[in-house]
Amino acid sequence: METITSPISGLRARGVALGSVVPIYLLLVACGVTLLVGCLQSGLFARLTVSGLAVGAAYGSLALALVLIYRATHVINFAQGELAMATTYVAYQLIQWGLSYWEAFFATLAIAFMIGTLLQVALIRPVQHRSQVAAVIVTVGLFILIDGIVNWIWGGNFKFMQSPFGTGAYTIGGVDIEHLYVGMFGVVLASVVLVWALFRFTKLGLGMRAAALRPAAASLVGVRVDAMLALGWGLAAVLGAVAGLMYEPSQFTLDPTLMQTALVYAFAAAVLGGLDSPVGAVVGGLAIGVFLNLLVGYVPAISSELQLPFAFALLLAILLVKPSGLFGQREVRRV
Amino acid sequence: MRINRKKLGALLCALGATAAIASSAAASHSSTPGVSKKQIVIGGTFPLTGGASLYASIASAEEAYYAYVNAHGGVYKRKIKDIVLDDQYDPSQTVPAVQKLVEQDHVFAIVGSLGTAPGLATWNYLNQNMVPQVLLATGDAYWGNCVKLKCDGMTHPWTEGWQPDYPGEAKLYASYILKQKPNAKIGVLYQNDAYGKNYFNGLKTGLGTHQNQIVDAEAYNFGDSAQVVGAHIGALEAHGADTVVLFSTPTASIQSLATMSAVLHWSPLTLLNNVSANPLFMFFAEQNGASLNGVVSTTYVPSQTTQANLAGMKLAKKIIDATGNTSLENDFNEGDSNLVYGLAVGWTFVDALKAAGPNPTRAGLMHALRNLNESGKTANPFVYPGMSVSTSSKRFFPMEQLIFEKWAGQTGSATGNWKTFGKVLNSGH
Amino acid sequence: MRQRLPALVSLVAVAAVLTALPFVLSSYNTSLVTQVGIFFIAVLGLNILTGYSGQISIGHGAFMAIGGYTTAVMSRDHHTDLIVTMLMALAICFVLGLLVGIPALRLSGVYLALATFALAISIPQLPLQWSTFLGGTGGVQSSNPDVRFLWHTAPAMPERWLYGTAWAAAALLFLAAWLILRGRVGRAFRAIRDSEIAATASGVELPVYKTLAFGISAAYAGVAGSLFVLATNGFAQPTEFGVILSLQLLVGAAVAGLGSLWGVLVGAAFVGLLPQVSTSVPVIGSDHGRDVVFGMMVVIVMLLLPEGIAGLLARLRLLVRA
Repeated sequence: METITSPISGLRARGVALGSVVPIYLLLVACGVTLLVGCLQSGLFARLTVSGLAVGAAYGSLALALVLIYRATHVINFAQGELAMATTYVAYQLIQWGLSYWEAFFATLAIAFMIGTLLQVALIRPVQHRSQVAAVIVTVGLFILIDGIVNWIWGGNFKFMQSPFGTGAYTIGGVDIEHLYVGMFGVVLASVVLVWALFRFTKLGLGMRAAALRPAAASLVGVRVDAMLALGWGLAAVLGAVAGLMYEPSQFTLDPTLMQTALVYAFAAAVLGGLDSPVGAVVGGLAIGVFLNLLVGYVPAISSELQLPFAFALLLAILLVKPSGLFGQREVRRV
Repeated sequence: MRINRKKLGALLCALGATAAIASSAAASHSSTPGVSKKQIVIGGTFPLTGGASLYASIASAEEAYYAYVNAHGGVYKRKIKDIVLDDQYDPSQTVPAVQKLVEQDHVFAIVGSLGTAPGLATWNYLNQNMVPQVLLATGDAYWGNCVKLKCDGMTHPWTEGWQPDYPGEAKLYASYILKQKPNAKIGVLYQNDAYGKNYFNGLKTGLGTHQNQIVDAEAYNFGDSAQVVGAHIGALEAHGADTVVLFSTPTASIQSLATMSAVLHWSPLTLLNNVSANPLFMFFAEQNGASLNGVVSTTYVPSQTTQANLAGMKLAKKIIDATGNTSLENDFNEGDSNLVYGLAVGWTFVDALKAAGPNPTRAGLMHALRNLNESGKTANPFVYPGMSVSTSSKRFFPMEQLIFEKWAGQTGSATGNWKTFGKVLNSGH
Repeated sequence: MRQRLPALVSLVAVAAVLTALPFVLSSYNTSLVTQVGIFFIAVLGLNILTGYSGQISIGHGAFMAIGGYTTAVMSRDHHTDLIVTMLMALAICFVLGLLVGIPALRLSGVYLALATFALAISIPQLPLQWSTFLGGTGGVQSSNPDVRFLWHTAPAMPERWLYGTAWAAAALLFLAAWLILRGRVGRAFRAIRDSEIAATASGVELPVYKTLAFGISAAYAGVAGSLFVLATNGFAQPTEFGVILSLQLLVGAAVAGLGSLWGVLVGAAFVGLLPQVSTSVPVIGSDHGRDVVFGMMVVIVMLLLPEGIAGLLARLRLLVRA
């Protein structure tokens, strides 16, 4: 299986690009307004929306990690969720060994970064030039292996991690908004913004973007492409760790299955938003989080069993209309 | 190249002879597989890894009990060897695991396996091959209902469960509600599969004409996020329920309990199914901000924390401490009820094995298990005082008794315990 | 003809070994080789789709589920002969594969992969919805007398029927694949894989052949699913067809590599045998061996053989010629 996508063509006319994106932004604004109105009308709606946005942020962070890796190396990292879960366990262990929550948090981010870069260098780099499928299968192997290792070390029983945001809530207009949800949303937003700033404003970020988009040209101007790709994986691992660490308190317990459903939603978010669009990934995650909650709360006709198939059918329908996702760019294939 | 016929003939004869010897050696095993002078080999399948692995401690407790028995001379001088295989709760893995146990490890019996679907995937095979499939760790009613009746095409005389079945337990909750809160507006959360539906149907049967007091019933999927489960709980509140019955697996139960009090600040009368009522799970909910005082459930094993002075609980502690497994000991000391359950099942097995005599056969074991009488002086020490484990030609469900309990604990910390109240009740399915 | 001789001889040798095995191995080990046969069929189908027509699917576990449930339900409700249910699974999955192939035309590369991934997750949910007909979590048990024959007699016997059926089906489908791929259809597939634009320019009707590839591969997966359920004592249940199954098929296809039917055999053995064998690794123990050892082996094999066995064989052939 050879590389099918080609880099986004710089020859694309501006007008065409705008034409495909403006309707999407309008749609988003419309959704935002609807949500706001709904929140003001109903306490239940507000609660569902807020918690949906919070977990959606976690899904979005994981989706962003997937997109980051995909943009850089055209590899779907199946192990992203398990890696996020494993790094959460690392934080758990650090806390057991006496660190405070935030000390463990930042230490874990550093460890995640190192693991991410190491994985890319040791396991992905040797194969990605030979065969992209092989690289993807390596991530499948990692998915299985990491799950096995975590189970081996910590076992399958529940573990408890103190929520860093406590169990209190802000009361706005008669509706309780958990500190946890605000915190989750805030931390994820902060990390996403930081990563965005890194890419946009630093030379390092520029180098990473160049290495992803035009590796040959980039290396000609002195960018160390291989190192940039490794850094990309490291950053993705950090985003994954943030996703895991923020998601765990919302699920009340820590066990090896923590990120399995989240990974599925993250894939859906990444596909929905467009696999080459970081904005799309985050928006996709938020959309999925809110949508699922509202579906459960307001459409009992779609019974439990049909929720997942329904959500995916919807996703597929959207893909048929926009085959590269909401924010993705159509691939131009050169003959 | 010419083929030497004589040599070929000799080779074929040798192969044939070897095959004959091998098959006859295999045949000599089949008289009483798993039983030798010094050992009895049994086996079981458990979800040691994967999504249901929080039940893995049951297997550890059973093994601890067998270790204790072995240290005291075994059964008729035979030591019990228990081979536990991981099936990750996936029937397509249970089948080869059970095949391995029966055909490679030549186990005497399959004991204590966990899971309904894994059990259903292997019960035809085991019954056809006349291998005991006993003391299954699931509360579905198949194991007792299909002994004389045909299910899935055949009867299953070699299969037996142990724990009180789910519909029977649910009926007790129905009577409790009708007695304690006759005008209750009931909201039910149940897992969207046979487990949850069996509970729910049992509740409805128990409520009888009062079924219309169920204002809302929400089904969630195993694996749903806490937010989705929370959305279901929110829906129960929105429908005006003042009594909530939870027929969920531990993860969702913890999430429901935490959502109710910590998020919604809602304190309806809450009834929790026994599977989720392990004190360790209650601690998780409390640590996540749940206020659980007054939550009601049922039990059929004593508590090693509040009833530590019972002879059975002292013995249990001794057995667990003897394993040298610190995490197991810690869990026990915190009150993990799964461990007591495992010990109780192990005790029943050994009880039946003794009754099967000094030359046990598979049929003999089944006979003993179909004629259990663990009560009074011969009561199972790991079962709630006053409860009996018994079977007969008319009664295929060994444990059919439960007692109600109420939780008293402290929000925000891992403390608290269950206090039983009322009398021992029969949960006849 | 002389060039074909080594291939023919090795084919005959493999056939001979496979025929002899159930009489030599224990019943349990025979059932392990049966699993290899089942995965052989599924991976072969996936190879036709991915390797020969260049479309990626991580959703063939869903087709296995459909095939498996077809067998279980028909057997339970109508006592249909098991071979007939397998043919039904083939037909139903072929049609469904065509239906999936049509919207798949719109998607490409990784989007197609993830869309099929969504399929793999959604389809096993359906038996939970229609639980009276499809059994819910209680599963569906085949009740055909043939299936019970499997467990009637002494342990040495039962596995042979299933082994024979699985490998006979594998042989037939292998032959079918060989005939398809060496003909016009195969050439069209290869043209599409190498360059869709060039293929269209040469007159290959893309939609027809791409959809056909989906249909054929789904049909293969359906038969494999049928046998998979039979190997699980005839019991079909949603947990058997989780995401991991689709990922296993993908791993098998990747280990196989492109363009080599030998590779498919090795790939099938890899995903069919290794997880079970991994549970016997000491130190790690049977509880964790399955995930830790198997996962590690997947990573290592892919690092060593990025193009799969087919790539290895191609390189060896070059060496031999040199």
